[in-house]
Amino acid sequence: MSGTFVTLVAAEIERPSIDWHAIAPELILLGGGALVTVIDLIWLERVRKLIPTLTSLVFLVALIPVITLWADGSGLPRGLWIIDENVPATGVWEGAFVVDNYSLVLKGLFLLSAYVIVLLSTNYMSEGDYYDSEYYQLIAASVLGMLVMSSSRDLISIFVALELVSIPAYLMAAWRKRDLKSNEAGLKYMLMGVFASAILLYGMSLLYGIAGSTLLSDIAAAIDIGESRPVITLGIVFTIIGFGFKVSAVPFHTWAPDTYEGAPTPLTAFLAVASKAAGFVALINVVIVALPTQANVVEPFIWVLAAITMTVGNLIALRQTNLVRMLAYSGVAQAGYMLAPLAVYDGISDRATSAVVTYLVIYAAMNLGAFAVVIIAARKTRSAELSSYGGMFNYAPGLTLAMTIFLFSLAGIPPVGGWWAKFEVFRVLTEGNRTSGIALAVIAAVNSVIAAFYYLNIAKQMWFLPSPDGDNSRIAIPPALLAAVGLTVAATIVSGVLPGVVSDMTDFVNVAAGQ
Amino acid sequence: MFAAAAFPILPALIITPLITVAVLMLIPANRNSELKLAALVGTTITGMMSIWMLYAFEIADDGFQFAVNRVWLEELGLSWNLGVDGISLFLVVLTGILFPIAITATEPHHDPKQYYIWLTLLMSGSMGVFIALDLLLFFLFFEIVLVPMYFLIGGWGHGNRIHAALKFFLYTMAGSALMLVGIVSVAFLSQDATGGLTFDVVQLAEAQALSQTAQRLVFGSFALAFAVKVPLFPLHTWLPDAHTEAPTAGSVILAGVMLKLGTYGYLRFGIYLFPQAAHDLAWIFLTLGVIGIVYGAAVATMQRDLKRLVAYSSVAHLGFIALGMFVLNTQGIQGAVFQMVNHGISTGALFILVGWVYERRHTREIAALGGLQKSAPIMAGVFTLVMLSSIGLPGLNGFVGEFLILLGGFQGARWWTVIAVTGVILAALYLLWAYQRVFHGTPTEENASMPDLRLSEGLAILPLLVLIVFLGVYPKPMLERIEPAVERLVVHVEANVDGFEEPGPEQLPAEPATADDLTHTLEEAEAEAEAKEEAESLGGEG
Amino acid sequence: MGVQQNVAQIPVDLGSAQPRAVAFAPVSDFLREYIVVGLFGALAFGLVAAFIGLASIFRPDRPTADKVENYESGVDPVGSGWSQSQIRYYIFALLFVMFDVEAVFIFPWAARLEDLGVFGLVEMVIFIFILALGLAYAWRKGVLRWV
Repeated sequence: MSGTFVTLVAAEIERPSIDWHAIAPELILLGGGALVTVIDLIWLERVRKLIPTLTSLVFLVALIPVITLWADGSGLPRGLWIIDENVPATGVWEGAFVVDNYSLVLKGLFLLSAYVIVLLSTNYMSEGDYYDSEYYQLIAASVLGMLVMSSSRDLISIFVALELVSIPAYLMAAWRKRDLKSNEAGLKYMLMGVFASAILLYGMSLLYGIAGSTLLSDIAAAIDIGESRPVITLGIVFTIIGFGFKVSAVPFHTWAPDTYEGAPTPLTAFLAVASKAAGFVALINVVIVALPTQANVVEPFIWVLAAITMTVGNLIALRQTNLVRMLAYSGVAQAGYMLAPLAVYDGISDRATSAVVTYLVIYAAMNLGAFAVVIIAARKTRSAELSSYGGMFNYAPGLTLAMTIFLFSLAGIPPVGGWWAKFEVFRVLTEGNRTSGIALAVIAAVNSVIAAFYYLNIAKQMWFLPSPDGDNSRIAIPPALLAAVGLTVAATIVSGVLPGVVSDMTDFVNVAAGQ
Repeated sequence: MFAAAAFPILPALIITPLITVAVLMLIPANRNSELKLAALVGTTITGMMSIWMLYAFEIADDGFQFAVNRVWLEELGLSWNLGVDGISLFLVVLTGILFPIAITATEPHHDPKQYYIWLTLLMSGSMGVFIALDLLLFFLFFEIVLVPMYFLIGGWGHGNRIHAALKFFLYTMAGSALMLVGIVSVAFLSQDATGGLTFDVVQLAEAQALSQTAQRLVFGSFALAFAVKVPLFPLHTWLPDAHTEAPTAGSVILAGVMLKLGTYGYLRFGIYLFPQAAHDLAWIFLTLGVIGIVYGAAVATMQRDLKRLVAYSSVAHLGFIALGMFVLNTQGIQGAVFQMVNHGISTGALFILVGWVYERRHTREIAALGGLQKSAPIMAGVFTLVMLSSIGLPGLNGFVGEFLILLGGFQGARWWTVIAVTGVILAALYLLWAYQRVFHGTPTEENASMPDLRLSEGLAILPLLVLIVFLGVYPKPMLERIEPAVERLVVHVEANVDGFEEPGPEQLPAEPATADDLTHTLEEAEAEAEAKEEAESLGGEG
Repeated sequence: MGVQQNVAQIPVDLGSAQPRAVAFAPVSDFLREYIVVGLFGALAFGLVAAFIGLASIFRPDRPTADKVENYESGVDPVGSGWSQSQIRYYIFALLFVMFDVEAVFIFPWAARLEDLGVFGLVEMVIFIFILALGLAYAWRKGVLRWV
């Protein structure tokens, strides 16, 4: 693989036939995003109201090929440049872009999350003094990056996808441009993000230097030397630290609370769910595909990260009085749970991947739901302070019930979704019967109790305490937000009561071998 | 069994309350009486079904009856695996009886719709805990019941209710979070022996695939969860708060049903799954149980709040049950199961009575009450009966359970039992003293005008009084249903613990306390007292 | 792993002439993997500290009023360091840089035009279309208007 450039120039270019079906989701999103931009450019203000609807339609249309691929794929990985499924492909990009069940589930997750985010944003954006259509175009761009990320099995495409996810998010974090906090959010996020990218690139360059290829499977083959070497360890550590920033693992989480609080709330939901999931996908791809033989280096590092992340996240969340910040820290803690399966992936990488993806799917539903409620409540209270949720049951019983479902789900109380996510994590941790895994499971169990404390604290405010200003007028819930809450409540309940629905989708086979 | 095979009675026990919840949701929030009626009808139907099970239950069968097994998640071997044996049967019936009574006996002060919804949900979950034979399913129900109870205490409790609700929730969750790790571990560690991943309790118990250390660790994680729930001595601190601050119905269910989740858990999932570890570590639970007996009784004596006193008496009673269970012989465990039901009946009734006193006087301070016997003679009579049952007066149900536990205890754990006996005396002390202060003496002005029991209230508590006397006089039908399952458990422990033989009556006659003998003795000795008591309680309704 | 196992297999004999084995044996596998990371970090910080420290020791330090002034292309600085410049310069510069850099991607295609044929042409049309969309956006939203 070394000297690819020479090959490219010298050899006769082989024009591969493209598997259009496999890249249809990305193409639709790209075309749809461009279309939205064109429409916006032609009619400007006259179509302002239509842009969110159009964007969400684009997401839904892009979901169609994901579903048909799922139905058609029967678990077979498809490469972008495969000429004939029976003949190994020979193109330069061979194996860099893989469509298998794993990536399809994630694509579905990203598209649906993005759909919900648009629902959350519609009223928020149109009611404030914000640039409107650009926001949706940037979301579409970011989601495009996520879709590419799901299929990337190559350092370069992973990096490009990660930047495509992040750069629009930097802009959107500062979207409330007259608010200093939002400016701070955008700036912090960008500086830390760029810093993380630099570290990530450094780690990747070391891995490339060892393997002579950016393709993850080539790297896996190159570093399968039966021992660890300092330079490999360095490369791995830097790469994981780079992703650690993206998934807000402690101690690389410092940007998250400020950014979450200052950014527009729908975007916070986007960062906390979709963007974080993209970071996890990148991490899974690298760890599972490229580093299966380096478990003795990766596992202890991720173990420590996971343990610190869940503990510190929860302990700081205990002290928060602002609900958005609390959710931010709770998201940090949840990232710790999601990291946990990767601390014991040796030999059970498919199961570990399934557990993380299951967690991501359920987490997306419950966390998006919680943010939806926060956004709705803020329409009345103009605040995200915990005390402003007092007495909500009196004037918004349905909303309170929905929030309670999300909170109990986040705390892992059955029968709503969160318990299944936690169970999957515990399952992987204990499956190998290794002390490290069981110890981490115990840490996670203790943490889930700490977490229950602050989740219940929110429930307490809403159910038992009086409203702070005695204002018990009802909240008018716009249809878009109502739909968002309905969707997420349904997803949260279904994933808990019928966990088979989720586990059937996330039962992956041979993620690492996707070519 | 014939009819049972046709009608899925166990799922119906879970589903009927859920249907009731759906019905309640449809009724407008301001229709107070309709809401109560719907909740009452739903829970009573469930209760009736549970009582019908008593009739349909095959006495000689020591296995699980009415079994239902539906696959829920194939890849995990997770299934809706339900069944009852002699151990769980009466806890199911107890649940079925206590809920309608708790609903009849008291009214919520506000938001009746929510209140009844939570109560019926709680019933569904409680039923599920007792009939689940799949570890994970059990865990789900075990956690689910926390939620309605949290809202019942936090929403309709007294004074410091929110704090009490949170404490209750976190304590229990702390235990059960580790239990989840234990559950997953035991399933995976037994994977090879059971031929695939399964959470089926019977299969796991038969497999006994864990190494000694693993068994102890996993048993420890289970034991911690149950110890919080029982509660055993150092983990009991949530109980006085939760019981005292909970609304009356909440206290009744907490004491009557939810504490049993812990003791039942020890029998079904602790001792049954991990006999070796349970046997090795039994001394811990015997010790904690005995400490609970003495400590609970001592602290109860000091209480100024009547409800708190009853709450601490629970700690003592549950200590007896722990003692009986971990002696690991038939009499002890049988007595423990019996005592679980007794405690549900008598403490449930005590909480109802205390709740009524509070409704009338708006205080539970023992010092502020006094002379109630004058103003409310019928209530005093009912209180006497219930209190005597709680003390363990021969001829009433409490005696049978305590007697069996002590009998078993002397055979297996003599010195612990010697200390435990003092608990019987202490129980008499704190309850009689409390009775004296509350009901005797000259009533002050407010106490003098306290209204007596209404007919509806009398009818509500009547079933409990009948049970107190009936089980005291004629425990045979209950004991003979409990016995096969307990014997099977003991045989299971014997088979799986090296060198362990059921602590038996070496110097005592071969079968000292079969149901028949015991009943016989009691009948003769106490016939007179019974007649008097019964007359009093029944007279109360007139 | 192989190397460490070898190290671990060396018999630890305090009296022998193998002090290295004695020094390494107590270190667990886990720590050994990360020693290099720690060393690397220490080296990075150490180098920076060394350079700055050495420089501050050896450099002459004779400040004068002229020396502490800001360097402004050899011209005396006038006024405050903070001054506003037209945001339009910034936007134009940004647009220029973007399109300039994108042009780099067009050259390889131009060099292999015939080989790539229609396929390459279609690809490049898409690429240029997206670029043009950006320009159209800037134009339509009034970014290019100077006044």
